[in-house]
Amino acid sequence: MKQAGEEEERTSGSEQERHDPGDEDGVLEESQPSSSKRQHKKRSKVSKVLNTLRGNEIPQSIVNHVVEQVKVDQGSASPAADPDAVRAALEQLKIMDVLKGKTGVAGRGKKAMGEHKFWATQPVPQIGEEPPSEDGYIEPTKAIEDVRREPYPLPKDFEWSTLDINDGKQIKEVYDLLSLNYVEDDDAAFRFQYSAEFLEWALKPPGYFKEWHLGVRVSSNKKLVAFISGVPTTLRVRENVFRASEINFLCVHKKLRSKRLAPVLIKEVTRQVHLQGIAQAIYTAGVVLPTPVSTCRQVNRGLSFITSYYHRSLNIPKLVDVKFTYVPRNMTLARMIRVYKTDSAPRLPGLREMEEKDVPQVADLFARYMQRFSMAPIMTVDEIRHLFLSGRGDVEQPCEKYRRPKQVLWAYVVEDPKEHRITDFFSFYSLPSTVINHPRHNLLEAAYLFYYASDAAFEPGVDESNNLKTRLVHLIGDALVIANQAKFDVFNAVTLMDNMSFLDDLKFGAGDGLLNFYLYNWRTAPLAGVNAVSDVEAGRGVGVVML
Amino acid sequence: MDGSASPALLEAAAYLSRGSSLSSVPNSIKLELYGLYKFLTVSPLPQTSRPSLFDMTGRAKWDAWTSTGKTYNDRKADAEKRYLEIARELEWIPGDAGTQLISPSHQASPGEVWDDELGMRVSDSASNHRGGMGTTVSALARPITQDGAETLHKLAIEGDPDEVSRFLEAHPLLDINERDEFGYTALHLAFDRGNLPTAKVLLEHGGDPLLKDPDNLTAAELAEIAGHSKLSALLREGSTIV
Repeated sequence: MKQAGEEEERTSGSEQERHDPGDEDGVLEESQPSSSKRQHKKRSKVSKVLNTLRGNEIPQSIVNHVVEQVKVDQGSASPAADPDAVRAALEQLKIMDVLKGKTGVAGRGKKAMGEHKFWATQPVPQIGEEPPSEDGYIEPTKAIEDVRREPYPLPKDFEWSTLDINDGKQIKEVYDLLSLNYVEDDDAAFRFQYSAEFLEWALKPPGYFKEWHLGVRVSSNKKLVAFISGVPTTLRVRENVFRASEINFLCVHKKLRSKRLAPVLIKEVTRQVHLQGIAQAIYTAGVVLPTPVSTCRQVNRGLSFITSYYHRSLNIPKLVDVKFTYVPRNMTLARMIRVYKTDSAPRLPGLREMEEKDVPQVADLFARYMQRFSMAPIMTVDEIRHLFLSGRGDVEQPCEKYRRPKQVLWAYVVEDPKEHRITDFFSFYSLPSTVINHPRHNLLEAAYLFYYASDAAFEPGVDESNNLKTRLVHLIGDALVIANQAKFDVFNAVTLMDNMSFLDDLKFGAGDGLLNFYLYNWRTAPLAGVNAVSDVEAGRGVGVVML
Repeated sequence: MDGSASPALLEAAAYLSRGSSLSSVPNSIKLELYGLYKFLTVSPLPQTSRPSLFDMTGRAKWDAWTSTGKTYNDRKADAEKRYLEIARELEWIPGDAGTQLISPSHQASPGEVWDDELGMRVSDSASNHRGGMGTTVSALARPITQDGAETLHKLAIEGDPDEVSRFLEAHPLLDINERDEFGYTALHLAFDRGNLPTAKVLLEHGGDPLLKDPDNLTAAELAEIAGHSKLSALLREGSTIV
C-alpha cells in the first residue's frame, strides 16, 4: 500500500522532486541527464574533493587540529595522536568522500540494496572482513560435473543468446547496444563508443571461448538488449598464478535497467566460466559496488584497489569546446595551446612501429618488466602477438600520419641502433567517446595508454636512480607525439604500472573518474592503487590494463 | 492508517501509478489526486511544516494535501468517491490493476510504459550507466572555483553581457583596461573565451583592443588562436572605426 502511495507521488511530481535528497528510489535518483547548471555544481563538488585527494595534501592546520583534539581526549601518549597516523586516517576519509560522491549515499536506495544483496551471495571478500593473512581462493574450484547444467532463468520475455564475434552482423549488434547504452560520465556528456574493430580485437584473444560472449535478446523480436563478456587470461597475484576470466562490457539497455538483468548476466557468465574449469575472475567498475553503511573497512569488500584516471590534453580548443577541460583562471586558451603543444616527430632514436619479427623479444621484455607489479597478466607469445599486432587495422593500406584505417591499437618498439635489440616498447589503444548533444562535435577521440616496458628497469639499483623514470618520460612522451599526430584529442592513463612516475612531467591532469579493480573468488590484501600500501609505492600494485 | 484504504482505492492508485495514464494530465489534477490519496491513506493533514519557497514541488503538494484535509475534513467517503471519479475519467476500469498490486510482476510495474522499439513494457525514464562492470568515462576534474568577489574579469569570463553592463554602471570610476593579477584585461579574457556579446559591451565602454597580454598578444590575436572567428572579425571591423 505504501508503495502505491509512493508511486502515485512520483507520477504526480515534476522534475524537481527527482533530485530530492530524501528520495529513496535509486532509479529516480540516477535518471535523466542533468541540466548544465546542476552539472557545474556537481562536478565542482566532486572535483573539489578529488583535487584535495590527489596530490594536494590535507592542510597541516586540519591535521594539527585533530591531533590536538585527540590529545585532549586520550592524552598525548596515545598512538592516535601521531600526526602521520591522523593524516593517513584523514586520507582514508577523503577517499570515502569521493566514493560517496560517486555512488550517492542517499540515492540509488533500492538498486544499491539489491546489488548489495547480490554480492553478499558471491565468493568475494565480504563486508567487515579483515585483510587476509594469506592469499587464496574463497571457494574451491567446482568440478565441471557439479556446475549447474541449465542456464539461469531470465525474466519472462527475454532469452539467452551466444554472440558470434566472427559474424560482422552480430558484432554490429553489440556495437549498437554499447554505443547507445554503455558507460557515461557523471554529467552524461560523454559515452564510450567502442568500435566494432575494437570489440573484435578485445573479445577474440587466443583461446577465447565463444560461450563467454553472452547476450540477452527480447524473445518476441530478437533485439539484443544486454551483453556481458569474458576472455581468458593468466593472472599472477603476488606469488600465485592462476587462470582467470577477464569480465568486461556488462551492458543493459537503458530502458531495461529495472529488470534486474545484470545479476543474472553475471551469474550466467560465471557458470560459463566454471564450465571451462576456471574459478577466478578479474573485473573493474567505475563505482564502488554498493555498501549499505560507509566505513573504511566496508569499502574494502571485494575491492582490491582504487585507481584513478589522468588525462593529457592534446587538442585544446576542442577539449575546451566540449567541456572535457577548462581554461584555468590564470591562463588564456592561447597560452594553454602553447603549453600543451607536442613535438612534431618522436625523438627516441630507433623508435619504430612494432612488427611480427619483434614478437619474441617484446614477449620477453614484457614478462620481465611486469614482475615489477604485485598483480599482472602472464602472456604467451601468441597472446602478445594478438594484443600488439592484430589491432593495427588494415595493414595493406599505407599508414599515413601514424594512423591506418580501422586501427585500434598502436604498438611501437625502440630498437637499439647498434645491437638491434628491442630495449623498450609502448602501446596505446583507441577508445572514442560519443559527445552527447553537442552542436559542433560528436566524437571525442581518446587514446588510452596500454602496456609498455623498458629495459632500464633491469639496471642494478633502479629504484634508487632516476634512470627508469627519465626513460619512461621519453618513451611515453613519444607516445603522446604519435597520438597527437594520429589526431587524438586526448591521451588517457590510469594510476597503475609505473604511470605515477611520469604523469606530472608529461602534463597529465587528474580526471574525475575512478576505476576499482576486483577479484572474483580470490582473497588478497589491498594492492597499491591511489595510495601506497605498506612498502609498495602508490600505483605500483597493479599491472593489469583493462580495456 | 494504511490499512483503512479500500480495495477500490488501491486498485485505482495502482492504475494511476502506471506511468502512462497520468502523462498528459494537468498538474492541478495530479495535485488533487495527491492530496486525496494522502488524506485517505496517511492522515487528514500533513504532519510536517510547510516546505520552503525553494521547494516548489514539495510546497505545492503540501498545499494540496492541506486543502484536501480542510475541504473533506471527516468526509472520507466523499474524498474517496472523488478520487475514484477522477480515476474513471482517466480510463480506469474498476477491477483493473488490483492483482498486480498484490503480486508485483514484471508485466506492469508502476512507472512503466510500452516501448515499440523493444516490444515490451519498460521503465519510463532511461537511466545512466554508472554501476556494473567495465571501465570508466572520465574527464578532467574541474578546477576548484573560488567564489571570490565579483570582478569585471570574472564577469568577462562568465560571459553574461547584462551582468557586465550592470557592473560597469555600478562602478563608473572603474578603469575598464585594468589588468588582473595575471596581467590580463577584461577584454583579453572575453576574446580568449569567445564571449562575443560581452566583448562588444567592453568595447563600447572603452575597452582598448590594442593592449597586449603577458604573451604579447592582442585581444584579436587571442581570439584568432582560440578559433573564435566571429570575434577576431569583430575587431577587424572595429579597427577600421578606430
